[in-house]
Amino acid sequence: MRPTVKDRIAVFNPQGFLDGNNTPVFLTVDDIRATEQLSVDMVLVSLKKVIFFNKNGLDVFVKLLNNLRAKMRVSIGFCDYDHQKFQAIVKFYEKDLNFSLFKTQKIASLFASNNQEETHTVLIYNEDPSQRSTMAIELFDFGHNPVIAQSKKEFEEKKQHQEAYYAVVEDTFLGLFGQKIATRVSGNAIIYTISNYLDATIADVFNLDYHTNSLNVGFRLFVFDAYKVVAMNIHALNFFSRLSSSATEYNATLCFVGLTLEKTPLQFKEDLEDSGILFFDHMDDILKNKELLEELGASSAAMTKHKRVLTKTLVGELPRFIEATVSTIEMMTSATANKEAANIHQLDVEDTQDKVASSIGFYGDMDGMIVLIFPKEIARKTCELLLGEAEHDIDAILDALAEFVNIIGGRVKSLLSEKGVALSITLPRTYLKVDDLLEMMQNKKGVQVDLNFAGDKFVFFLTR
Amino acid sequence: MITQAEIASFIERIPPTPAILKNTLRYVEQGELTKAAKTAAQDKALSLYLTTLVNKPIYGFRNEIHDLSQIFGILGTSGAQQVLFNYMMSLLSPAKWELFKLNQTLFYDLQAQLSTRWQKILRHLAINDKECESAITLLPASIIVCEALFKAHQTDVEQLRSVKLLDYNTILYRLSKLDLFDICETIAKTWEFSPQIALIVQCASGIKPSADPQINQMGRWMHLQLFHTLSQSAFVEARLNDFIDFQVEFVEEIYEEFSNLMETP
Repeated sequence: MRPTVKDRIAVFNPQGFLDGNNTPVFLTVDDIRATEQLSVDMVLVSLKKVIFFNKNGLDVFVKLLNNLRAKMRVSIGFCDYDHQKFQAIVKFYEKDLNFSLFKTQKIASLFASNNQEETHTVLIYNEDPSQRSTMAIELFDFGHNPVIAQSKKEFEEKKQHQEAYYAVVEDTFLGLFGQKIATRVSGNAIIYTISNYLDATIADVFNLDYHTNSLNVGFRLFVFDAYKVVAMNIHALNFFSRLSSSATEYNATLCFVGLTLEKTPLQFKEDLEDSGILFFDHMDDILKNKELLEELGASSAAMTKHKRVLTKTLVGELPRFIEATVSTIEMMTSATANKEAANIHQLDVEDTQDKVASSIGFYGDMDGMIVLIFPKEIARKTCELLLGEAEHDIDAILDALAEFVNIIGGRVKSLLSEKGVALSITLPRTYLKVDDLLEMMQNKKGVQVDLNFAGDKFVFFLTR
Repeated sequence: MITQAEIASFIERIPPTPAILKNTLRYVEQGELTKAAKTAAQDKALSLYLTTLVNKPIYGFRNEIHDLSQIFGILGTSGAQQVLFNYMMSLLSPAKWELFKLNQTLFYDLQAQLSTRWQKILRHLAINDKECESAITLLPASIIVCEALFKAHQTDVEQLRSVKLLDYNTILYRLSKLDLFDICETIAKTWEFSPQIALIVQCASGIKPSADPQINQMGRWMHLQLFHTLSQSAFVEARLNDFIDFQVEFVEEIYEEFSNLMETP
């Protein structure tokens, strides 16, 4: 069984009955290997479609998940259960509960990095005060606004006003957590929360893959929230210097906010400044200063010093990118898709109103970005297989569009791997306003292809 | 992915009931089991299937039975009809499974397990009806249809499922407005099964509750029984566990009763 991946969370979805006999066959050696290759922050087993489980069954999953945690430094656990199942798991493991439990996948996603700028107000309750605090800290680090209920009574009262909260976190437990640095998006800036003593292990806990993803999909400002950093050593210094050097290729900026230098040599700060890292006392000094944001590259108006241009190799592979897109459209709609025109120029969208867009970056033996722009209605029609027949709001359509472009990215990866070209793909990104995309593209040149399926037109754009 | 033309082509290829089988079924319906056995003996494949199936351990016979008259006698009219329907279904199954890691033996095992447990369930529910008993035989048709339609689209489905949890039934419905169980109903019609059989199996999909309380009750038990069976290691390994969506809410109210029944010998 292969997991489904969304928002950097891989979820296995067994069905029916789980016991010691059948659980080992749900995850074969191949499944484990495939999961190890994924770029995710969490690996969970959903119990949504499980009507019966016993400890022997869960033990097998826990053992396999623990192996994945050791190799991938991901958080692991179970999700999608009711109160009764939660109590059963807690009882089974009591003091050995070192994995996480999330009542729903929606709750789990609050504790994982993604590419969307979303701050959610979340109500938290757990009988254990240390769990309450841990959850609040983690949620805060991921850019959310946790509201802690200190007692069951307070929780029940607050829960009456469910509409005030994006999610109510109950029957949830954070096991060994925080192995990766918490990451959130604010505007066009990525914020990493670092804490404690920074040493050589920073290279293990910093999600370089996610960072590269973010650079590839157009983020240019990276802020290290360092209020909770006690000190750093030379290994951490070298790590950040290297990170800063590699960011210059993309004309990106790295900043430290709130770092106290009581236990860190001042020379370290100077060295980091020499490598291009900027220092600020408060987060608002950056995030609330529009001019500075523009200057630092977290704004559409930023000028790119070193434009990344299309390469011959990338253009040479255009037919494969088109093939991946066309075949995905055909798979999703059972309609034939055709290429109408292909030209190299800046992204040109005639009317940006009522259109949505999605993009996905790729890097490895070659790098670049695929952008798709659809009229809203065509986007809904294209993603009908993912959406179903029910009415959907624009968020659901954008969500499906992200899944759609993710499939295209997967196909490109697989088509090029047949030629010996190894690629990794980034998280997909969606745009409710095409103007935001155009601003992010910063007048980049690329290959624009007008595609059409069943009379409906959309734009494909390949750029670097 | 799957087109209407592929579905139509599959439906067109459903073979008519073979004459010997038709006659055997007619004798069973009339209660003429000896004549039914004699007719069945004219078809070597049918004879072999009958002896293989009833000698599976789940049927619980101490000694191997080879004589067809004896087999029909032991099975009785409703049991014989059920086994003959199972044979018809096996005619539709592919020689080589590609999407699911099944083979003939494992598929027969699945049929045998579903049939014997369904009889146990019907006894428990005090339902004594030949058509209801035979309804279970149509259930594996959903697997056969799924194999036939999706085997050429494995990569597409894998890529789709890597980003979104969609079962084959939902994918098929969203693409064609027909689901696996609608096609099972077409098979049932072609083979002149009683309409009630198709109604029970449609309900057992878990997504089409019936207005008839008894059909709904049987649909619920059949759905849970299917996932109880598909949770066995051999069928999980055969990738059958998630071919359709398990509707936990649909069966929750009978779960305790079901598990108690399954635990009783």
